[in-house]
Amino acid sequence: MHDMSIIWLRVAAVLYSLGLVHVLLTVLHRKREGLFRVAIGAFYTGVVLHVVSITELIAVTDRVPANDFYESASLCGLLIALLFLFVYWRYRYEGLAVFTFPLVFLLTLFGELGRPVASWSNPQLRDAWLLVHVVLILLGYAALGLTAVASMLYLVRERQLKRKVPGNISNRLPPLSALDTLMARALSIGFVLITLAVIAGSTWASIEVGTSWIRDPRIVISLLTWALYLVVVFFRITAGWRGRKAAIMVIALVGCSAVTWAAHTGLRTLLSR
Amino acid sequence: MRFLITGVNHRTAPVEVRERLAFDQNSIGAALSDLRACAGISESMILSTCNRVELAVTAEDGVEPSASVDRFLSESRKMQLERIAPHLYHYEDEKAIHHVFRVAASLDSMVVGEPQILGQLKTAYAIAKANGSISGLLDVILTRAFGVAKRVRTETGIGENAVSVSYAAVELAREIFGSLENKKVLIVGAGKMSELAARHLHRSGAKDIYVTNRTYERAQELAGLFKGKIVEYDRFLSTLPEIDILIASSGAPHYILKKTEMRRVIDARKNRPMFLIDIAVPRNIEPSVNEIDNVFLYDIDDLQRVVETNVGERKKRAEHAERIVDEEVERMVGRLRAREIAPTIVSLQEQLEQLRMAEIARMRGKLGPLTPQQEEALDALTRGLINKIAHGPISELRRQAGQPGGIHIIEAIRKVFRLEN
Repeated sequence: MHDMSIIWLRVAAVLYSLGLVHVLLTVLHRKREGLFRVAIGAFYTGVVLHVVSITELIAVTDRVPANDFYESASLCGLLIALLFLFVYWRYRYEGLAVFTFPLVFLLTLFGELGRPVASWSNPQLRDAWLLVHVVLILLGYAALGLTAVASMLYLVRERQLKRKVPGNISNRLPPLSALDTLMARALSIGFVLITLAVIAGSTWASIEVGTSWIRDPRIVISLLTWALYLVVVFFRITAGWRGRKAAIMVIALVGCSAVTWAAHTGLRTLLSR
Repeated sequence: MRFLITGVNHRTAPVEVRERLAFDQNSIGAALSDLRACAGISESMILSTCNRVELAVTAEDGVEPSASVDRFLSESRKMQLERIAPHLYHYEDEKAIHHVFRVAASLDSMVVGEPQILGQLKTAYAIAKANGSISGLLDVILTRAFGVAKRVRTETGIGENAVSVSYAAVELAREIFGSLENKKVLIVGAGKMSELAARHLHRSGAKDIYVTNRTYERAQELAGLFKGKIVEYDRFLSTLPEIDILIASSGAPHYILKKTEMRRVIDARKNRPMFLIDIAVPRNIEPSVNEIDNVFLYDIDDLQRVVETNVGERKKRAEHAERIVDEEVERMVGRLRAREIAPTIVSLQEQLEQLRMAEIARMRGKLGPLTPQQEEALDALTRGLINKIAHGPISELRRQAGQPGGIHIIEAIRKVFRLEN
């Protein structure tokens, strides 16, 4: 990738990260109108720089910039960003930002990882970075596990109340709304932790092993899991998915995460130099 | 000491009799004093509720309080004794304790396990206590009765499940929403049933109540009861997305809420759960509404079934509760017996100890100076002697305590040993 192009892309990624921060705070129920305005402003600027970056790339290579994963990721991120801006301009649909901001940021981040920065200045930093990733992921899984338990209890409870089987109705399980709240809180916290972990993890991998890691199917699985997580959170926040539907989605999500986790236990080879 | 309960309840007397026997709260104080003025009666308490009127008294030994209590009741209530007598029950001593415990534990109530009776009993106790009518035995028994009631409640959970349709609705709402604080309730059709359900919900914290009714006046009347807001009948559908709990009891001959409409409502409220209570016949809400996610629809039969199950469950728990009461009565009787003979045992022991000390003092002069070993031997000898003498009468006292005729044996022992009263 071209030098100037990558610099613009990095600046764009930094601008998009404001959008990500806005979404993470929204997910944690700390909505701030002011922050959204800042985030959308940064997003506009980011898109402009993103366009500049890709135009430069086209000017240099004289081809559609989708030659490898990294270029495709960047291009895909830009297209999604443009689509979002169109919808936002046309319908003022702010809610879509919950889905778009993290996705665009992550795709742009991957795009600029195509040109890894210099290797670790010292091994301690490397280990600390990895530790941060692992700790975040584990905390995220714990939150997700809690969500799954709450979801299952919710399904049991909901079934009892729907079927109206007398005698079963009043029992020791907490009320539906309490389970739903627990589900929502744990899901949000888990999402924030896992998003940060994905960012930390992919940055680490890029510095560690350059560009080869992204083709590993296990990495792909984990990224898809994250994308599913994003979808669940998006529907939960914008369409108010709750109750049975949300519970089932969460259980599916936990299933995916279990696969990801199992896949990653085999990832030790990456860690040894 | 004797303990007697005289009274009527919903099983023994029709309401015409109960209402004439009832004491109003303000006159109980005076009545208690009058009752205590009767010969031989030491303590008194009056429990007067819509389902029962009971007089509890304790009397000195040898007094038959039953006749004087009957007479008092007849005179103070201005009813001839012959008219009351067929409805009256009398429980004495152990049976009376058993009865008080059952009443406190709400096992004798019309709706077994209902919680009000314990409060009413506590009020009756407080009035009598303030009046100075409770001082000894009655205090001990009632305090224990409150303990028994609590034990029954926590160990059997008898009062846990609702046994009325309107209260069952509230419990279901709690199962869904947890706290009902800040929940919005809409009443469609202002009938008696919906008013009752709304009253329960209001008391449980749902303060935002909306009312809609075909006739505006009735809506206004009902809204006035809860400081509620009135919604125009034709437009109640548009307010539904804000509503958490809907009580439908309108007289409409067709469904006033259909599945398609409900689907739109639940979308509009972003799937926040909704509880629909349809107590109308014919039903107001299309039954298939219950198939929509996050909507919980209960009709009158569903609620009735919940209630029936709860009633059955209560019966089972009541059996367990009866066993607890029996056990507690036995324990109480044991304690009272011990209490009855304790003074006799103490004075017997004191008497013998005095005799022993007197004898030792008398003999000391004759024996001259004693070594510490000899002192000790003398002490052990005399002590052993009086213990052996006391053993027979004390075990006899314990055996006879509380038995019919036991009082004569106790008297005999007091006489034989010249125990002062």
